[in-house]
Amino acid sequence: MITSKHIDRLRQIVGKENILTSREDLVAYSYDATNLWTHMPDVVVLPTNTEQISEIMKLANENKIPVTPRGGGTNVSGGSIPIKGGIVLCTTRMNRVIEINKNNLNAVVEPGVVLQDFQDALAREGLFFPPDPQSFSGCTMGGVVAENSGGPSCLKYGVTKQYVLGLEVVLADGRTMKIGGLTPKNRTGYELIMLFTGSEGTLGIITRITLRLLPAPKANKTVVAVFSDVAVAGETVSEIIASGILPAKIEFIDNWTFEKFKGLLPQDVLDSSQVILLIQVDGLPETVEAEARQIVDICKKGGASEVRMPEDQAEVDRYWQARSAHFSDISSRTHTIINEDVSVPRDRIAEFIRISQEKAKQYDVPISFAGHAGDGNFHPVVLTDTRDKEHFQRAMRCVDEIIETALSLGGVLSGEHGIGLEKQRFLKKAMDPQAIEIMRQIKDVLDPNHILNPGKIWEEAPDDE
Amino acid sequence: MTSSIEFEQLNKFQSDLDKCTKCGFCMSYCPVYQEERVESSVARGKIMLIRALLSGELTATDEMADQLNRCTLCMTCAQNCPAGTQVPSIVTAARADKVRQRGLSFPYNIIFRWLLPRRRLFGYVVRFASWFQGIFMPRTEGTIRHLSLFLSALGKGRHIPQIAPKFLRQSVPEINRPPDGVEVKYTIGYFTGCMTDFVFPELGKKIVSFLTGNGVEMVVPRGQGCCGAPVFLGAGDFDTGRMMADANVKAFKDLDYIITDCATCASAMKDYARFLADGGERARDYADFADKVKDITEFLVDILQLPPSAYRVADELKGKTVTWHEPCHLGRYLGVKEQPRQILKSLADINYVEMPDADRCCGMAGTFSIYYYDLSRKIADRKIADIESTGADIVVTDCPGCQIQLTDSLIQHGMPVKVMHIMELFG
Repeated sequence: MITSKHIDRLRQIVGKENILTSREDLVAYSYDATNLWTHMPDVVVLPTNTEQISEIMKLANENKIPVTPRGGGTNVSGGSIPIKGGIVLCTTRMNRVIEINKNNLNAVVEPGVVLQDFQDALAREGLFFPPDPQSFSGCTMGGVVAENSGGPSCLKYGVTKQYVLGLEVVLADGRTMKIGGLTPKNRTGYELIMLFTGSEGTLGIITRITLRLLPAPKANKTVVAVFSDVAVAGETVSEIIASGILPAKIEFIDNWTFEKFKGLLPQDVLDSSQVILLIQVDGLPETVEAEARQIVDICKKGGASEVRMPEDQAEVDRYWQARSAHFSDISSRTHTIINEDVSVPRDRIAEFIRISQEKAKQYDVPISFAGHAGDGNFHPVVLTDTRDKEHFQRAMRCVDEIIETALSLGGVLSGEHGIGLEKQRFLKKAMDPQAIEIMRQIKDVLDPNHILNPGKIWEEAPDDE
Repeated sequence: MTSSIEFEQLNKFQSDLDKCTKCGFCMSYCPVYQEERVESSVARGKIMLIRALLSGELTATDEMADQLNRCTLCMTCAQNCPAGTQVPSIVTAARADKVRQRGLSFPYNIIFRWLLPRRRLFGYVVRFASWFQGIFMPRTEGTIRHLSLFLSALGKGRHIPQIAPKFLRQSVPEINRPPDGVEVKYTIGYFTGCMTDFVFPELGKKIVSFLTGNGVEMVVPRGQGCCGAPVFLGAGDFDTGRMMADANVKAFKDLDYIITDCATCASAMKDYARFLADGGERARDYADFADKVKDITEFLVDILQLPPSAYRVADELKGKTVTWHEPCHLGRYLGVKEQPRQILKSLADINYVEMPDADRCCGMAGTFSIYYYDLSRKIADRKIADIESTGADIVVTDCPGCQIQLTDSLIQHGMPVKVMHIMELFG
């Protein structure tokens, strides 16, 4: 499909320092943070501007070469794996923060800016961009928008789509399109921005992003509550929300990763407990103090076995680092993890966890839960090993039933990770067939040759496991 | 699956290799990735390449060697890895297996296998080379460069300090006793390292006089050689590295402490056990040896526990603004972070300013800076900006390798900031 002539042309477009063709480099772009799939591209290009991307897309479209857009490659749904080969279009070298405007509370960035770098730059101005996917130290802004990323802070602040004001997008045929603008209000035509926010790279290449910002909260306070019972923890979350306080984050961590809290909490409490809730309120110093105290009371009344409100910032940071390490910690326990991403209505959390635990017991597979309890977005993780076929099949059946459970409780298939390769087998169950048909038609309009991130979301990947 | 014998060293670190979950957190910490922004620069990419090497999907090509060499072993990724993957160990082991399979290329085979282990001969060659230094490259006022680097850096326009007219071993006796009337509190060995011996002998003399003046008997064993860092860590030549390790262990056999003024030497010597031990007795000897190795600031603060009054700033440096560059090998490898800062903060005669990201890699990394001089320079440029932001007159550190890098980069940027070893502050 791709020939040496095409590669020569790509080299011409991006320059020889921005193209990778060695087998070693291709292996390095064959994966993302999932572990069920790998596939090598034929070539990797690292364009440095929109014009180059436009030329790359023209070439790819004329020759029907698959193009998989990629930033940091940290996604956990298989979205940036070039499952059909072709070109990996990696934006990591388009990493300028073009403008941070304090008066307009907006910023313009290129897609390859790392989220953490962006946050650091904003913090220096007293500003912030709320979405905080836990891959923040590697993920890039193009991916944040294309995956419509969430994270703990979304409980109070919403997800990425609520912050995208404008985009520049290169379409599949190489045309460049500007949509949206600089203002928080904009009622001009269809909300085309929403097509690309969460498109997982299947509709166009995002080349420039205008984002709405918020002033950074002046203060925050963290409450740590430990529970010996999962259901009690779930009910406490509901009580906090119902009390009229809206914390920035309510995070749920089960005892699989209590190891990381060693030295922070008494060992006997850790030994006898099942869940830690990390709750953060933010705002003005006067209000956060009062709200945190109110949350402490609710947790105590709710039956927490230990409640703390650490004063020392270094200690607070250690709690949150322990939370961030959850995914890696669980992954390092076993050969393969299946990390799901369902969201259930908040008042069904306890029920969801209880049923999921029963399923895990029934299939005899280990399961761990962590997640953004405040918004019902849970990450049940089933630990397995692809090398043990029988175990792996049991694990997959268990995961299937957990997802069915979430859907039957009124939940959704993916809260924030996207469909990618990971969840496409459930799409038909989770979406109205009419809606899938409309998605197909939109795809045909924007990418008639289906060259953009082929094999993802609704378009089934070749079964090459 | 390729035979396990081919990957003898990597097999030892299999559990580390398994730990990486590809989360990609390392991207935010890797100094090489921050310049290149390609996946193969960062820890996750290197681990995936090594896994592919082990599975037979990739082979030990020149390209693979290049990918493995493009790492400063700064350890920042490992320190921040949520899964605790020890990436530097994996990369070092992969380099070793590559050398076992493919050998070393010229001129490193001559330098590492033949020259570095022979200290006296090495000295002659360094002296010989120094005669030509002025002809081939800009001299840097004041000082230095490691021989292997020195030879290879020819023609790259780098500012290389001069080889000293008289080496340290020619300037100080083997046993250095405290002056009369000063009680002997400790008798310790001084591992001088190639740099201090050949290029910075004045630093060595200063350290000997400082410590003897404070009641420490200093033995400078003549049998000591290169620590082996460029050989076994940089180039992956474990066989030669083991020879060098054995020589050093023997040279310091009867001493309770071995101090160094070079963080890289200290950490390399502590790593003998991890990489070079091939059996019970060696493992024990190397581990015992490692326990005795102390960085000089660690020795001064933790063991000798000198009072602030013992540190007298040289007259010509009084009133200067001083900042500190923390070498990777000192902070992350040896865990010596507070000791040098404690000394610096206690000095009433200087104005100490902490620089932003003081522990960020300077990009030297020994042979790395020869293979990838341009990349090394780019990494250094960020450090230079941090130094500049402090307004310091002097940047002090505790690693002659970092000193060379900082000196070269500051000159390239036309900045008048002086680079010194922390022990050079004292009169």
